Parts: sequence; C-alpha cells; structure tokens
Amino acid sequence: MARSGPYDLNVHCIPESGNTIEEVVAVAMRLGYSGIAITNPDTMKQLPLSGNVEGFHILSGVEIRADNASKLHGIVGKYRNKVDIIAVSGGSESINRAAVENPGVDLLLNLNIAQDSGFNHVLAKEASENRVAISFDLGDLIHLKGGSRVQAVTNCRKNLLLIRKYNVPYVLTSNARSCFDMRAPRELAALAALVGMSGEEAMAGLTTIPHSIIARSRPPAGYISEGVQLVYNEADTGNIDEGDC
Amino acid sequence: MKLLPPTLRTRTRYLAFEAISQDPLRREDLIRELFSSAGSLLGDVGASECAIRLLAFEGSTGVIRCAHDRTDRTRAVLASISTVKGTRVIIHVLGISGTVRGATIKYLAGVDVFNPKDSHI
Repeated sequence: MARSGPYDLNVHCIPESGNTIEEVVAVAMRLGYSGIAITNPDTMKQLPLSGNVEGFHILSGVEIRADNASKLHGIVGKYRNKVDIIAVSGGSESINRAAVENPGVDLLLNLNIAQDSGFNHVLAKEASENRVAISFDLGDLIHLKGGSRVQAVTNCRKNLLLIRKYNVPYVLTSNARSCFDMRAPRELAALAALVGMSGEEAMAGLTTIPHSIIARSRPPAGYISEGVQLVYNEADTGNIDEGDC
Repeated sequence: MKLLPPTLRTRTRYLAFEAISQDPLRREDLIRELFSSAGSLLGDVGASECAIRLLAFEGSTGVIRCAHDRTDRTRAVLASISTVKGTRVIIHVLGISGTVRGATIKYLAGVDVFNPKDSHI
C-alpha cells in the first residue's frame, strides 16, 4: 500500500549507476520522498534491499529496453509477477505502441530523446484505456543543453497537450542515473511548470497517480477490482453488497 | 543614495537552500554556475526578470534572493544546476520566506551537512 507522500518511480542504482541503493535512498529521504522505485534494466544483478526502510518505501522495478515490439510482450509477461513497477524505455513509435497496448506495463519512459517523441493521439487513447502512465523525464531538462534541451521541452509540451486531451495517467520522474541526479518534488514541479504544467497537475504526477500505479501492482488487502470496493458486509446473512466507489 | 519609497521597491522572496555534494563548494563557483544556468534555461531577459542574487553561502547552506513572482522559475534554475566546477551537486530548496531573517530562522537553523557517502540507513 502506497504512503501518502511523493514518489519517484524511475531511479537507477548500482550497477546501472555509480551509487549504491543505500546512497540513493538516503538522498531521496533527505529530499522529502516517501518512496522510490529502482528501475534498473536487469533485476537479476540488483541488490536485495527492498520493502520498507524506516518509513521509506522502496519498490522493485525493471526498465525494459526491447529492440522490437513482439519481444516486448514476452519480457513484460516474464517480469509482471516479479517486480512492482514495469517501465518500458520508449523510442520508436512501434515500441511505444506495443507498450501502451499492454495493460501489464506501468510506465512508458524516455519520450524526449528523439526529435519526434513517437507519441501521438492514437497512442494517447490506447494509453488512457490501458492505464499505462507516460513519464515526464525531467532529468533531460537538467542534463541536456542547447538544441537537444529545446527539443526535450517541445516534446514534453506536446505530450502534455495529449495527456490533458485524452486523460492519460502521467508521472514526473527524475530518471536519475546517480544520486546527484535526483531533485526534490517541488523542484521537479518547478521544472514541469516550464513546459506549462500547473502546480496541481505536477503534484498529482508525483503523488496520487504514482499511488494508483502502486496500488494496482500491489493490491491492498480486500481489493476486488478497479473501481469496486466493499461498502457493506452483512456477515450473518452472508449477503455481500458491492458498491461502486 | 536616497532610498526608494516602499511602494516603488521591488518585491522579493528569499529561498533558503542546501547544496548536497561530495566536496565543499566555493561561493564564487556557485555564483558563476547559478548565472550560467539561469542564462541557458531562461535566457538573458528571463534571468533578469528573476533577479537572482546569492546573498549568503556558508558551508553547505545559503540564501538566494529572487523576484516575488518568479519563485517557481528560480526553483527551476536551481534544479537545473547539476555540477559546480566539476563537483556533482543537488541544490535543495528548504523553504521560501519574505525576509532573510525569516528564511534563516525558519529553514536554516539546525540544518546539518548532508553527504550521501556518509549516510547510514
């Protein structure tokens, strides 16, 4: 079950980056996060520190970098029951399309890199239906310079337009490769404001939307189905009433 | 020099921040990085509107002044700083106040130096 504070669902540690999971967690706690998801490409080499550390929530994750769309579904199926967060590194339109069509995928990352983000209204509709969240990788706004940063901002702005139109879930992430790449939640919100995101939208992308992603991959006790909750349970007659929330 | 009447003075906010880095930073290097980062993110005009100025910087904490309606832009500028003279750094804004005194008392009192390499969880 997710805690109430902000989450960064795309953080890397050893061996993907130069920092141990302890250093990354220490920085995240200092910056005011309630939890992070470690999304290294290969989970087999990952350190087995997971769960809760003194009130901090560490989620396991995987970042899938597939070469072609047909392989992607197999890899997603392989990891679905092993990790909490399945992120797909986007790029070409065919990979993005396969990712948003698979309800097992939680996040679609790295849409800023190419000149065209490979994300459009058709994919936005699919992402909305399958509840695949689009990630705003704000680390790109920090580390890219010059023309490529201009391109990243443009892509973010385009994606924001589609996300508003089709009600696609989205998250703000640092895409941190090192513990010094992380930024506090309010700083990420300020960077998101540069591409036209309002403060409320940014906070939703850091808190409520990540919470719903975590709740979906880790259903709490008594979970029935999306949008359904047990309102009334008359145990002596065995009469169960399921109400829509 | 005559002081401006209160209604004509520019309104400012003060950001208390800490710099998280492995090695200690020098004030001059931080100032240089601050202005080059503001220039590249917002351009000269945008940076001038923010009116960023580093007031105090000691140890790992400090106070930055900015225009009262540009606190978000200033935060974004601080977030976009990734290295200061080759040292990796996170500028973490601890709080915003209307006075230097408020920012110092509320947010900087009792802040310890944080280094991710020394932390134990």
